[in-house]
Amino acid sequence: MSPSPSNVDTDVASFRIQRHPTPRKVTTLAARTSAVALALLTAGAALALTGASPWALVREVVADTVGSSFGLEDLGLLVSPLLLTGLSVWVALRIGAWNIGAEGQFNAGALAAAGVGLYVPGSTLFLLPLMLLAAIGGGVLWIAGPALARAYAGVSELITTLLLNFVAALLVYWLATGPWLDPGGRALGSTARIVHEIPEFWGSVHWGLPAALFLAVILGAVLNFTRWGYEIRLCGANPQAARYAGIPVRRRLVVVMLTSGALAGTAGMFEVAGTVHHLQGGISNNFGYLGIMVAVLARRSTLGVVAGAVFMALLLDSGTVLATRGVDVSIVLAVTGLVLLYTAIGDEVAHYRIVRTSGP
Amino acid sequence: MNLATGLLHTAVLAGGVPALAALGEVLTERVGVINLGVEGLMALGAITAVAIVVATRNPTFGLLGAVGVGLAIGTLFALVTVIVRANQVLCGLALTMLGTGLAAALGKPYAGTPVPALFGPCPIPYLSRIPVLGEAFFSQNILVYVIYLMLPVGLHLLLFRTRHGLNLRAVGENPAAADAAGIPVQRIRYLYVSLGAGFATAAGAYLTLCFVPSWSDGVVAGRGWIAVALVIFAGFRPINAVLGALLFGLTTALGFLGQARNWPVAPPLLSMLPYAATLMLIVMPAAASPRVRRLMAAPAALGVPYFRDER
Amino acid sequence: MTDGPSPMVQLRGITKTFPGVVACENVDLAVGHGEIHALLGENGAGKSTLMNMLTGIYRPDAGEILIDAAQKHFAAPADAMAAGIGMVHQHFKLVPSFTVAENIHLGWDRTPVLVRDADLARRTRELAAGLGVEVRPDARVEELSTGEQQRVEILRVLSRRARLLILDEPTAVLTPKEARDLFKTLKIFVGRGNAVILISHKLDEVMGVADRITVLRGGRKVASEMTRDCSAGMLARLMVGHDILRNAPRIRSDPTPPMTAAPVLQLRDIVVTDAVGTIRLGGVCLEVHGGEILGVAGVAGNGQKELSQVLTGMSRVNSGDILLAGEDYSRRSAREFAEFGIGHIPENRLHSGLAPALSITDNSVMREYRRSPVSRRAWYRPGRARALASCIAAAAAVRVADLSMPVANLSGGNQQRLVARREMRIATRVLVAAYPSRGLDVGAIDSMMSYLAELRDSGVAVILISEELEELLNLCDRIAVMCRGAIMGTVDPKTASIEEIGLLMAGQGTFEPKPLERRH
Repeated sequence: MSPSPSNVDTDVASFRIQRHPTPRKVTTLAARTSAVALALLTAGAALALTGASPWALVREVVADTVGSSFGLEDLGLLVSPLLLTGLSVWVALRIGAWNIGAEGQFNAGALAAAGVGLYVPGSTLFLLPLMLLAAIGGGVLWIAGPALARAYAGVSELITTLLLNFVAALLVYWLATGPWLDPGGRALGSTARIVHEIPEFWGSVHWGLPAALFLAVILGAVLNFTRWGYEIRLCGANPQAARYAGIPVRRRLVVVMLTSGALAGTAGMFEVAGTVHHLQGGISNNFGYLGIMVAVLARRSTLGVVAGAVFMALLLDSGTVLATRGVDVSIVLAVTGLVLLYTAIGDEVAHYRIVRTSGP
Repeated sequence: MNLATGLLHTAVLAGGVPALAALGEVLTERVGVINLGVEGLMALGAITAVAIVVATRNPTFGLLGAVGVGLAIGTLFALVTVIVRANQVLCGLALTMLGTGLAAALGKPYAGTPVPALFGPCPIPYLSRIPVLGEAFFSQNILVYVIYLMLPVGLHLLLFRTRHGLNLRAVGENPAAADAAGIPVQRIRYLYVSLGAGFATAAGAYLTLCFVPSWSDGVVAGRGWIAVALVIFAGFRPINAVLGALLFGLTTALGFLGQARNWPVAPPLLSMLPYAATLMLIVMPAAASPRVRRLMAAPAALGVPYFRDER
Repeated sequence: MTDGPSPMVQLRGITKTFPGVVACENVDLAVGHGEIHALLGENGAGKSTLMNMLTGIYRPDAGEILIDAAQKHFAAPADAMAAGIGMVHQHFKLVPSFTVAENIHLGWDRTPVLVRDADLARRTRELAAGLGVEVRPDARVEELSTGEQQRVEILRVLSRRARLLILDEPTAVLTPKEARDLFKTLKIFVGRGNAVILISHKLDEVMGVADRITVLRGGRKVASEMTRDCSAGMLARLMVGHDILRNAPRIRSDPTPPMTAAPVLQLRDIVVTDAVGTIRLGGVCLEVHGGEILGVAGVAGNGQKELSQVLTGMSRVNSGDILLAGEDYSRRSAREFAEFGIGHIPENRLHSGLAPALSITDNSVMREYRRSPVSRRAWYRPGRARALASCIAAAAAVRVADLSMPVANLSGGNQQRLVARREMRIATRVLVAAYPSRGLDVGAIDSMMSYLAELRDSGVAVILISEELEELLNLCDRIAVMCRGAIMGTVDPKTASIEEIGLLMAGQGTFEPKPLERRH
């Protein structure tokens, strides 16, 4: 679409709409805020069509999420996995890779941690770090194949990581309903309770949340204040220029992707050992996919990832609240898709500026 | 039906789902647009077909309804990716989430109810009497013949043997060159992106009307992504895509066989076969010779929006 | 050669703006039947933009286009083609993976609806024969030389019954003889009552072939005269806007360090093949001494890209040796080459020299980020990086308030100077400059050439790869001519003639290298 000359002739000047190669930060921010608002409005309108009253629902949602201490605790529990999966996708994006497999790496981490937690004897003090290591190992293992295939064979990591999501989900389901099934348990597809728990620091919110926040700060610092971080940013921005600068791009790519897998695996461990305390099918709860939204919302800084995680947690929590009012919980996924769509549109529209050109 | 026949029959039936979607995605990617929303579109097509058939008892209406929904969403997706030129990967992911979520929400009342009317078997005279192969390939429903025979051949001829096909491939390889040659780049992209979406929803309808005759949340189970992967494996060629889908169908059928025969491998593990197989398929082209890689290469301008007015 | 009652093409008051720049302002142009009309101007003057509007790729913000005195609005290239206008672009609009025959038949309503390779090939041969253009229908465009690709473009345009042929910098990819042949073809073309618009920045060429010359400067038309009424000096002044001081950068300032006796960089029998097995460099031998400028001439696509990659350690060689100050560097990495002191101004700065989305700061420290003061051990210090960037930007005369702005926002000239000064800092022994003046205006080109002279005077060896023969003759101490992946010969610019160089560029003629005088 060539920006059709939108002529608004005044006596002094005429105006055109032009596309600029780099949008102003302010414009992008405005575009994204409108995108989120518009998405929520669309969702509200759709709800209204089904007969529910959006305003009443909004009041209830606000009351049950940020309006109560239980609500805030629920939010806190949701921020931690979303932040970690968000960081996972975000760090991969920094080097130009799409890690759509955070969901599978989450599951791999969760099952590794659960396996260690259920079957390795020892004290909690000894086992929690071991579970974390196992989860990191699981996440790294789950992304290793796609990472190597991308770096050394040019295979699209988007599809390979994604296919492994389904394999991981089936693996967790099999373990939770098969070999690791809790025979005396009440739940149908769940393991026994894992006794080693991440200690809580506020209500039911465990130390995983501050740990995740800490990781976000560390990651941001590494990318901005280390040599390695500079190299990663350069590789992501222009791999050919990075090669000219003497950076081994493929090696960096693999390391970053493995880090990404490790972060998602850690998210799995925190969920198993901090929140759910069992391994069961569906433990990943779409956190991996929602992490993509968090990463996209974040743009360049890890602070953005935190903000995005809080937003997504709000959205997810609202969905759970609405579910008790009869609205299907899948609405959350749909609304997330809507936000992503409008954000993508907004990012593009933000490139256009109204320019005054002196009239003839 | 003996073992081999049964296996092949199921393979053909199962493979039809990603095959149809892959054919549509081949068209979309050949004009240079990557549509990662196929999974969501499939879900929407599946639920639309179920809803319509429950209401009208006519599977053809179900299929047509699904195609209509696909074309409508396709035009919107094309608007966003081709005209507005937003990031195609993000828009595709968004469409998948939107479609999957919406379909799950809309499908609640239909969960588990069997579809009252399906596409019945339509054996081809004479050919269907061939032992093993006849029952497997030529005693299927009408859609199978369309997906495995008519469409791949038709699309192959369109892409590689017609003037229009030459022009449309040029749009995906070098839109600037196509534009300079007088080809309406945006119009062609718009058309085939919309059309490809129609194929994806049709594949969803096929899923719930021919293969798994009911709706449930998660019924699509990644087949949309398999379709996208198949397009890469197929080197963006229709006939190869359908063959790859058959391979996928075979692994699915093997999984069913294992469950039916109580093999010592647990059902969830058997269900992993198709995904693992597709993973292998997608890594294969990288190991081919440079000449083969060149023939199977993606259209050079895939995923890149076209700006005529940019310096 | 005279205008008919009305000119074939008329542009009146054409204006076009892009973000941040007015490309064309109120430009008038008239081209008559049977006329070769040259559009002259330096890079960035607006010539290509103007023609892109005439061919329907851009739409003018103001003004009108008249073909045979009837006003036309071109919404798309197809409209311009229907009006009989065809353009051979500077960057060919061909699909590289398609064959010649497929490219010719692209978007053409005369192509048969059902297509077969053999049919297309036959039709292409018939067309080519009928129009007197030589092409190979079955070859894939990406395998052709640039000269052959240009012929395909020309054939495509002619077969659409173009009456107005626009050529954008056609001789950039031709040897001098091929250029002469092209002009002969053009004369025949206009002899039939058609017209040609020739876009060029080369004065001499334009004066030799055009009937009428229009000069553009800064997006405006500054003159439109019959060639016989023009002189080179007058045109040059109109192009640049002021008198050009022809400084002779080859003259060295006193006192200068002598050229080093031993070569600082040597290539011995370098053979490089590409992924498919085609030989790109077939036994190249080269050596360069500190304090000299070695030019590499030749039509683009004859191995220059591979050569610059070998010189900077970016490419593995199949056989042969690379010696830096006598030491074998054949198996060393690009980083080691840079540490030795080899800088590189790449051919395509946005592709390999810069990361457009990153800030000016990030781009400026790209070569030195590992060293102090920008880095200390593993830490990267943004403050010191900004200071270094500031230093480089000042040296490059890039006057920007905010260094955290993406480098994509800078003009082409600013970007190139930034890259040049960044590379000059690390080029303590050798600088490899590939087409450094491409796409730059005269002022920026002057700066680049003076940078190179500055390096030479400080004892650095400079390898200048360029397609501008004039530039090479003005600046270099020796010129090596490349053709088909080999060095055909090395000439002394003081004594060599364009003819000799032209023959070498075309792969003909052997040349006996004369022993060079050493300047002491």
